[in-house]
Amino acid sequence: MRYCIHSLIFLFLYSLALALSVNICFAQSDRDASKRVGSTYVITNATITLFPGNTVKNQNLLFEDGIIKAIGKNINIPPEAQKIKGDSLFVYAGLIDMANKTGVINPELPEKPGDFDPSDPIPELAGIHPHFNALDKYHKGNDQDEAWRKLGITLSQKLPKGQGMLPGSTAVILYGSPQNNNVLKPKNALYAKFSNVGGVYPNTDLGIMAKWRDLMRNTEIYQKHNLIFANNPGVPRRENNKVLDALAPLMENGLPVIFETSDELDMRRAIGLAEEYRLNLILTGIKEGESLIPVIKNSNVQAVLTIDLPKDQFTTEPKDDVELSADYQSRKEWSLQAYKKAVSLAGEYERAGIPFGFTTKHLARGDLFKNINTMIENGLSEEGALAAFTINPAKILELEHLVGSLEVGKMANMVILTDTIFKEEAEIVYTISDGYVFDYTEEIKNDAKKEGSMTWEYTADTNVGESKGTWVFVKKEDKWEGTITYDNPDGDGTTQSDITDLIITEEVMEFQFTVTVSGNSLDVKVTGNISVNDFYGSMDILNHGSFEVTARKKENPDKK
Amino acid sequence: MSFRSIIYTFCFLLTVSIGLAQQTGGDLLIKNATVLTITQGILEDADVLVENGLIKNIGKNLTGPSSLKSIDAKGKFLMPGIIDAHSHIALSAINESSSPITAEVRMKDVIDPFDISIYRALAGGVTISHAMHGSANAIGGQNITLKHRYGNPDPESLVMKEAPRTIKFALGENPTRVHGRGKNLQPRSRMGVEAVIRNGFEEAIRYSEKWKEYEQALKGKNSTTPPPVFSERLQTLAEILDGKIIIHCHSYRADEIYMLINLCREYGIDKIVFSHVNEGFKVAPELAKYTMGASVFSDWWAYKFEVYYSTAFNAAILTKNGVVTSINSDSGEVIRHLYHEAAKTQRYGGLSDEEALALITINPAKQLGIDHLVGSIEVGKQADLVLFDKHPLSVYAIPQLTIVDGHTYFDIEKDKDDQRLKVDPNEKTAPIFLNTQHHNCMRDVDFFFTGFGRNLFQHRH
Repeated sequence: MRYCIHSLIFLFLYSLALALSVNICFAQSDRDASKRVGSTYVITNATITLFPGNTVKNQNLLFEDGIIKAIGKNINIPPEAQKIKGDSLFVYAGLIDMANKTGVINPELPEKPGDFDPSDPIPELAGIHPHFNALDKYHKGNDQDEAWRKLGITLSQKLPKGQGMLPGSTAVILYGSPQNNNVLKPKNALYAKFSNVGGVYPNTDLGIMAKWRDLMRNTEIYQKHNLIFANNPGVPRRENNKVLDALAPLMENGLPVIFETSDELDMRRAIGLAEEYRLNLILTGIKEGESLIPVIKNSNVQAVLTIDLPKDQFTTEPKDDVELSADYQSRKEWSLQAYKKAVSLAGEYERAGIPFGFTTKHLARGDLFKNINTMIENGLSEEGALAAFTINPAKILELEHLVGSLEVGKMANMVILTDTIFKEEAEIVYTISDGYVFDYTEEIKNDAKKEGSMTWEYTADTNVGESKGTWVFVKKEDKWEGTITYDNPDGDGTTQSDITDLIITEEVMEFQFTVTVSGNSLDVKVTGNISVNDFYGSMDILNHGSFEVTARKKENPDKK
Repeated sequence: MSFRSIIYTFCFLLTVSIGLAQQTGGDLLIKNATVLTITQGILEDADVLVENGLIKNIGKNLTGPSSLKSIDAKGKFLMPGIIDAHSHIALSAINESSSPITAEVRMKDVIDPFDISIYRALAGGVTISHAMHGSANAIGGQNITLKHRYGNPDPESLVMKEAPRTIKFALGENPTRVHGRGKNLQPRSRMGVEAVIRNGFEEAIRYSEKWKEYEQALKGKNSTTPPPVFSERLQTLAEILDGKIIIHCHSYRADEIYMLINLCREYGIDKIVFSHVNEGFKVAPELAKYTMGASVFSDWWAYKFEVYYSTAFNAAILTKNGVVTSINSDSGEVIRHLYHEAAKTQRYGGLSDEEALALITINPAKQLGIDHLVGSIEVGKQADLVLFDKHPLSVYAIPQLTIVDGHTYFDIEKDKDDQRLKVDPNEKTAPIFLNTQHHNCMRDVDFFFTGFGRNLFQHRH
């Protein structure tokens, strides 16, 4: 009898634990995939979208060593397979970001010589370094990419940094285990921009366009010269040229050029160059220019649209009792139309049948799904949105055989949610990249009951030197409060003030505090942007100027 | 031809044909106007028939098909569309001021079809403007002649395709200040400007010789001669020497104008127009004999040292000396009332109506090499026309209708408060600008100056 009671209690506790964990199968969350015991996994009884518009229910998906081995209702599940219970979960192909710079830092450039001639600089000092590569300066396993992975991104094209027109070549990176080399394609395109380093040739779009023509013509000549030199004695040697060597693949074997554009005139300039020199062109950053849709449709130019939409300033506007003038109304109407055009552009591309991709460059992470939903509300289909994030970029990157949909033989890149992907309530529970499972179930549970407290250590660059201290924020009943410490302006040691008007989101932070200096009070306002654990912003002291502030969030501040 | 290149050619042809389809001319009948033909006198109560963008007939009691759009212009004055031989509107960049010679840059690359200044120019009766590189460099970029076909987002649609190539040169204070004083490069003085141009030409001659030798060598059997390095900068200078490009030179002082006339004669260049030319009256016979003319301001001077010795009689003196003379705007504001600027030559110098109107029509057309197509109302010419309520040289005259290629681009009856083509979707309300961005000779150069330099540098021409 005692035995029986014991087992009943045990059963009760067991079912309680099960109920608590709902779909969660791992005893412990493995958000950085560092604790895995094997490489074989099976997702059971899930709703799987194999391809945009093709969703199957109650399916199992088996993957091993990063490859999808089987999908179906009745598949052979090897005993070592670790189970991810997919009941009531939704599985999609991992998202692909066509262009971003997260984790990439600026390249080192040579020093300017003393007799520097800005009209004829060495190419590196003119922003012309196509021989650089994003990978040279990429920090894998960086905070930002991990944060994007948490939003379902499994693969991205990394852009090289640099101020000028040809910063270097791009690379395709998996957001897999940081222990691995995650390079899928080390040099898949050349990155180009209509920007200049300032103060040297080329200094405007005029010079940039002329430089492009110059480089294209001279690359051709350079190759011709080298060919003659290689095959004939008595031909003078042409000096080795890194820039032209890096540009040769554009013409020789169709290496794509991915052109950053900020408006439709940029787009037209890039298309013009591609026509003239027969380049494989990918336009990225597209945010306007409906008139170019037929031009792109009828060419083999590939299109990448930005998800960084203009802010909606129209629907949430509070009602105003003041009667607005007809002129004001008409101008507001016009702005609204411009906004509508911007948010319906993706839908227009879809209707034209252009398989475009998405870029997250410039996008605040919190806006990712919000903005895609705005596009969906303005004419883009859900299938179209999913395609722009999966199969279309896979095709543009020429990786369709590996990624972009869920098929046997393709890479195990997936995102698993509690609802269909563009539903507002949908939460991402797992992201799988390169067969590595990143488990966010534990975090979701923690987020729900998060009381919150955090400590930041800041450094302010004031005109009297560096000033350091801490910010301590505490969240009580959904409201943040805090204190700031700083060097006592009236004596030794440090002192502190209360923080008021505090706003903290995933992206921004601002607050105010008052400092008392010899009886006078100074109002100080701090504003800036948060990037995971780093803050960058300014400290404005009323009538006394503005100073740069950086801060870093302390992990587990309580643990000494 | 590879498959890829076939596809490209196909796509290219497709875009070209789309471009052409948008550029067919309009049909129109203007009736009972006082027609100021410029080249063939004044026709009272005359009709002008336009077909497919060209002037088909001029005369009395003309008729066309019943569907033809007809405008009754009784009591109004019809003149050819005004042409501005020196302008910087509709450009998103003006100066590539990073080098004393930038002959390789092309203004065609930076046409901004959304610039509201195009519409404002139309409202001032201007149908063609010469969109020029700025005056920061001794030899600037290749200009582009624009037809004000406002409303099409394709920059290409504004280009006047028949217009010959032109290039900007600049003498005097601007290039010496930017490069000499700003960056400690040549030119630092007027002597330096001449040296920069001369060295450029000499280098271009050697460059062409190298390419000619190479092309000659290619004709030989099994040539192993490698191609020389390509330079569009030197290639363009060589094309100037070959007479393929018209120079439009920013200049003020008689000595520098005479210097460039002599330099051009030495190199066998006769296609040159001088712009601004405030001291042109001192070298009028030379300008008449050796150049394609002078494009001047009516009465604008004293904004810097080199423009103090000036007179409002300049245009009249030049005209009377047989110089092909035009009056230009160099400004997004002056371009709106070039007919007033032309009228000033009647007060200062007593030019006839015909002479005064020639300053803003057929003469700038000659300077741009397009006088066989535009600049007067003649059968066969392009139907760029402007209809005024009063005589255009009257201070009370207001343009009513501006027509380019037979299409109406400005109609005072349909003139909305805001004619911009595009607003920023990030703005809550489309903003109003009380000051417009200056379209001027020295835009995009201020990077090269410290605060001190900028203060020295407030003038704009």
